[in-house]
Amino acid sequence: MIQINELTKIYKLTAKKMQELKTKENTKIAVNNISLVAKPGEIYGLLGTNGAGKTTTLRCVATLLKPTKGQISVCGYDTVKDGQKVRDSIAFLTNEIKLDPNFSADYMFKFFGRLHGMSEEQIVARREELFNVFGINDFKNKKIEELSTGMKQKAAIAVSLVHDPEVVIFDEPTSGLDIVTARNVTDYLKFLRDQGKTVIVSTHIMSEAEKLSDRIGVIINGNKVAEGTLSEIISQNEAEDLEDAFFRLYSKHNPEGK
Amino acid sequence: MNGTVIILKKELKRVFGDKKLVFSLFILPAIIMVALYGIMGFMMGKMSDDIEEHRNSVYVVNATEGFKNIISATGYDKNNDVIYLSEEEYRAAAKLDDDLAKKEDAIKTEEDFLNYQVKNNMVQLVVYFEKDFSKKYDSYTKSGDQIPSINLYYNPTENYSTNTYGVFTASIMNTYQSSLLKNRLEKEKIDMESLNVFNVVETTVAKEAKEKGKFISMMLPYMMVIMLFAGAMSVGVDAIAGEKERGTLASMLLSPVNRGQIVGGKIISLMILSGLSAIVYVVSMMVAMPVMKALGGESADMAQGLGNLELSLVQGLQLVAIMLTLVFLFVALIAFLAVRAKDVKTASTYISPVYIVVMVAGMLTMFMSGDKVPTYRYAIPVYGSAVAVKDLCVNELTAVNFLASLSGALILAVIFTVLITKSFNDERVMFNA
Repeated sequence: MIQINELTKIYKLTAKKMQELKTKENTKIAVNNISLVAKPGEIYGLLGTNGAGKTTTLRCVATLLKPTKGQISVCGYDTVKDGQKVRDSIAFLTNEIKLDPNFSADYMFKFFGRLHGMSEEQIVARREELFNVFGINDFKNKKIEELSTGMKQKAAIAVSLVHDPEVVIFDEPTSGLDIVTARNVTDYLKFLRDQGKTVIVSTHIMSEAEKLSDRIGVIINGNKVAEGTLSEIISQNEAEDLEDAFFRLYSKHNPEGK
Repeated sequence: MNGTVIILKKELKRVFGDKKLVFSLFILPAIIMVALYGIMGFMMGKMSDDIEEHRNSVYVVNATEGFKNIISATGYDKNNDVIYLSEEEYRAAAKLDDDLAKKEDAIKTEEDFLNYQVKNNMVQLVVYFEKDFSKKYDSYTKSGDQIPSINLYYNPTENYSTNTYGVFTASIMNTYQSSLLKNRLEKEKIDMESLNVFNVVETTVAKEAKEKGKFISMMLPYMMVIMLFAGAMSVGVDAIAGEKERGTLASMLLSPVNRGQIVGGKIISLMILSGLSAIVYVVSMMVAMPVMKALGGESADMAQGLGNLELSLVQGLQLVAIMLTLVFLFVALIAFLAVRAKDVKTASTYISPVYIVVMVAGMLTMFMSGDKVPTYRYAIPVYGSAVAVKDLCVNELTAVNFLASLSGALILAVIFTVLITKSFNDERVMFNA
């Protein structure tokens, strides 16, 4: 279970960043007072444009960033006070965090298994399962740097799940993947949900959010502007589909088109 | 398994599992060093042999019979061309070369002609006896009388000319001067020996260890400091800033391991790698020096001094302890700068000026006078360690100064380690947040 209460994250801007953003403000509100709950046995989809605040929210959940205000708990552990326990309970996948290219998928899997305090037997058993699911056995001994984007993503997903965590947080998990690999990943996320895991996925791809999410939270400019099941969001906005609903919400909450 | 040990093993595997990296970090520097010093020795030897074997041309104008006899007695004219010219012959030679005189505006006098020949290495040395040299010598009776002169023309920018000048003045001019002086004194019935008022008897009183280690004590601290820093730099920047830039450090920060353990694993692995790198440099140098000496002969004498270090077991352990604390300090310092940088390029920019400061600290000990260094100065990180190593080479390192040098470097290294751990917990540093 992930419980986010009134999360606000404010970044301090450097002079260079202020120049880039053409602003005189030396702070930027990345996430503004967001609350949400992702429950076990559910896939929660965070939908938003690039820079809306999805990744910042997920990074706060993964303990990589500290909330400026508000509180987050994962499996009952506070992300600020019990960071290590939170990290042991989650799988976190994002494009910006990568596996060391100098090692094989097999070595990385064992390495992170050991960091999670798993025994060699546990690691081997888990490797059998995940490497079969993602078809990694064929390239498990190749260096990460020698793998294709799809292979790298498969390896990264398998490694992130080495410790069989209760909570799975994937930021744009199908970004850059071919259609077959992307399907493979989304199918596995559904499998995890069916296993009773809490899954939270961020995406800006409407079709993915539609097919994958049990509930969706829409974030625009750091604010959560809608939440509900797919049909609830469509009906609340008198839209034809999720894309239509999103554009209506976007126009309403971002009239200047920022 | 402890997080530090797991990360340590991974870091070592990263290097030792990659043959190319092992080659570029440990084998290539050794090959380059041995080859470089070998080539230096070979070139020095070749140059020295060439100078020694070169048949030099010396013009002697208006030579006296006595001078000719001395040249003949020393055998100098057997290996070199000594050409005696009378004033007339010499003037004729200068005049004969009218074409040259036309080309070279500056050649107006006979002296200009001599200069021209020496400058262009046509002649290595010209010895010009003043006209009426013997007459002036003979007519000297009292102080204030005219003293005849001998002008020497040589080119200090030419090796052959410089060498000819050196050998000629040391072996011939001095002998000739002494013989003329002896003749004059004999006429006055003065015994040459009576000019020798006293003898200077020199006995060196330095301790054997100090004398032997003098050269090495000048070189070793500086070399040790720069080699250890270079070793730490070669592996430290990529292991921290490189991993940060590639996003692979963040994956470790997502593990449930305490950040202090991650820093510990990184630092210890870097210490091992940079220590090994430094050992490779030292061993390479120890191999390279005899190679240099073998190929360079006497001209590569500087190589000999480096083989003169003799340490007892305790001193050896002291040296290892100083080197380990220095490695710890350098690794922690480089890791701290690397972690504060957003990428490898920025890290290198931060580290370059620090490298210069470290080099200067090592260099300061090279030219230290014999004054006793106060104990507090041994506690100055890097400089103190270098001074301690210098003392160790000449068997003068006291226990207090040894401990002061260790403490200074260790305290700073620990401070940097704490700062690295703080940086690992700082989202602004790790994620530009």
